[in-house]
Amino acid sequence: MKTLVTLALSLTLSFCINANEKNSSLKANFEIGNPEITSINVMTFGPENILFIGDSKSAQIIAIDVSKDPKTDNSKVKIDLLDKLIADMLGAGTDEVQITDMAVNPENNNIYISVHHSSGNAVLFRVENNTLKKVSLETISHSKLSLTDPVAIDAKDKRGRELRKWAVAEMKYNSGKIFLSGLSNKEFASTFRAIDFPFNNKQNQTSLEIYHAAHGQYETHAPIKTFIPTTVKGSKAIIAGYTCTPLVVFPMDKIKPGTHNKGRTIAELGNGNTPVDIIEVKNEDKRYLLIANTNRPLMKLDFTDLESYNEELTTPVTKKGASAGVAYVNLPYVNVQQLDTLKDIGFLMIQRESSGNLALKVGSNWWFK
Amino acid sequence: MKKSIIVVVVWLFSIHLGNSQTGTDFAFNRYSVTVKRNLNESNTFNLYRGQISVEETENANAILGEVITNDTILRFIPLVPLGLHQDYTVIYNNHITHFSLDLPKSYELQTITDIYPSSKKLPSNVLKWYIKFANPINETNVYNHIRILNQDGDTLSRTFLNIENALVNTDGRLLTLWIEPGRQKRGLIPNQQLGSVFQPGKSYKLIVLKTLKDKQGVSMSNDFIHSFQITEDDRKKPDINLWEIVSPETSTNDLIMHSNEPLDYGSVLGSIIILDADNKEVFGNWKFTNNEKTLIFKPTDIWSKGKYRIFFNTRIEDLAGNNLKQLFDNKIDDKDQLVHKNTEYILEFNIH
Repeated sequence: MKTLVTLALSLTLSFCINANEKNSSLKANFEIGNPEITSINVMTFGPENILFIGDSKSAQIIAIDVSKDPKTDNSKVKIDLLDKLIADMLGAGTDEVQITDMAVNPENNNIYISVHHSSGNAVLFRVENNTLKKVSLETISHSKLSLTDPVAIDAKDKRGRELRKWAVAEMKYNSGKIFLSGLSNKEFASTFRAIDFPFNNKQNQTSLEIYHAAHGQYETHAPIKTFIPTTVKGSKAIIAGYTCTPLVVFPMDKIKPGTHNKGRTIAELGNGNTPVDIIEVKNEDKRYLLIANTNRPLMKLDFTDLESYNEELTTPVTKKGASAGVAYVNLPYVNVQQLDTLKDIGFLMIQRESSGNLALKVGSNWWFK
Repeated sequence: MKKSIIVVVVWLFSIHLGNSQTGTDFAFNRYSVTVKRNLNESNTFNLYRGQISVEETENANAILGEVITNDTILRFIPLVPLGLHQDYTVIYNNHITHFSLDLPKSYELQTITDIYPSSKKLPSNVLKWYIKFANPINETNVYNHIRILNQDGDTLSRTFLNIENALVNTDGRLLTLWIEPGRQKRGLIPNQQLGSVFQPGKSYKLIVLKTLKDKQGVSMSNDFIHSFQITEDDRKKPDINLWEIVSPETSTNDLIMHSNEPLDYGSVLGSIIILDADNKEVFGNWKFTNNEKTLIFKPTDIWSKGKYRIFFNTRIEDLAGNNLKQLFDNKIDDKDQLVHKNTEYILEFNIH
């Protein structure tokens, strides 16, 4: 009898899940199979348990459905010696593995970590009970899109793709669009694209010309290192950090293909530094930006300060190592290498601690109270 | 697994790549470990990195992989290939076994075959290098193995972009190294406060440490050292009108172009096409010589008599990131940019 009840319950649940999946317009064109992922350079979550993977080697974006992964309680997650754990599990030395990204599913706080091995293999892990479980990518519900070469837009460049590669630096989803930034191995040029999701045959792969102006004197066709789509004063905007220090705001409705897009510099975060990750965290009605950096601690910017800053930095900061523009607070976390939001908890980070320990750990939302 | 019931049986094996040990009980290579099944025992199989004891395995993390069994054997297929030059420990039921995968004597250690720009004199705002390896490289943390030293032998800090996802071409052998653009771009704070990475008149060394491994996990035998001197900065766009074209004198000769300055290896090759008088593309191979100042085109078929046009992609750069259309860091009020915005970059030659 117990078995019958369980079976009936399972069938009911199964029906509900299938019905939900069928009703999801975002997953309507998903197929079960092997997406043939050869690298996992960046990851980000969209709605409905959809994990987007940026695969530079195969020049594709893959959307995979991870709704069947069991929910795990990560509210107190802590993994020490994370690099050694990964290396051990792959039978390699720590110098033969590299964590390429980390993403947290906003639906259930499940944590995903992507790793590259020296052999060229990419592995996706999910955190479960303070250890790692491999996520199988061989038979998975997915949809994918090939990235066309942005340089091919130039009518005269009919060839010349054999050497050109571009590494996806950042990828974020917002309101039916995937935004990507990347760096080419051939030209110093910004690759910033907006791609409609769900993927379709008439794909809009808008390539945007993003410039960076230094103090109103010189400008470069500069690559964006990390960014976040958000709202500033009620309007959609992108806040971006370049490979060098400035933080820039682009109003979304003003970024258009074929035009010369230049953002408003709102902060200089101190030289000798590159932003690594930007996330947005909320506490009740208050919003904050958290920025992880290569050579500065984790920074917290209050959206109230950011939105009330109407100026643009046009004069150089003369004091060495100093910052300017929107004020920020340094949080006591240095060498934060990966950063994401942990819903209702705070934030999640992979940090190289001063002892040398590479730790996956939680940052409390106490910092935002 | 209880220590008390383990009968420790140790075999020590050392094999060469590709010649797996094929004893009756145990065989292994980079891609699998096979043991003869004992049907009277359970099939507990774990593989660990390093030569470790039974006690140590209790706190060790087993290597991920798939176990396949049939009536006679158990085969473990690791998730990623096992590494050369590394020790492993197998625990199968009550047996512990150690093995390692040695380099075959014929193994060719990784070397660097070319570096671009190859010139020993470079402008102070040089923007990137391309390093060509004999074999595919281990791309993980690859930039950690590269240094730039000044003439006193000190390692310079913040010299190039240490990006997470290495810029490596499809065959895994060409690595792009970007000099920190924030320091090369005029007006930016890193440039103003730290200065450009290189100073005119000074000598430097680019060093690729031997710790950089190939895709099999094997290091190079020696550090690679490339010395160069720095000259004044280059703030001019490359101008194809200053290039000299040596037209092929016969139908089988190569087309030769001499630039007035060294060109950027990556952005040039594959960015030039030749059309004949009927607007059909002429196929062939381009190659650089003379410190990337001379381009040689060898056509696949013989030339026909008539006029040819060479189209240059505007993104062709010099060593300082200045392309045909604009400077790397362009003065915002430069009206010159507007003039050149829609210009096509074409040169012509004739075969008589």
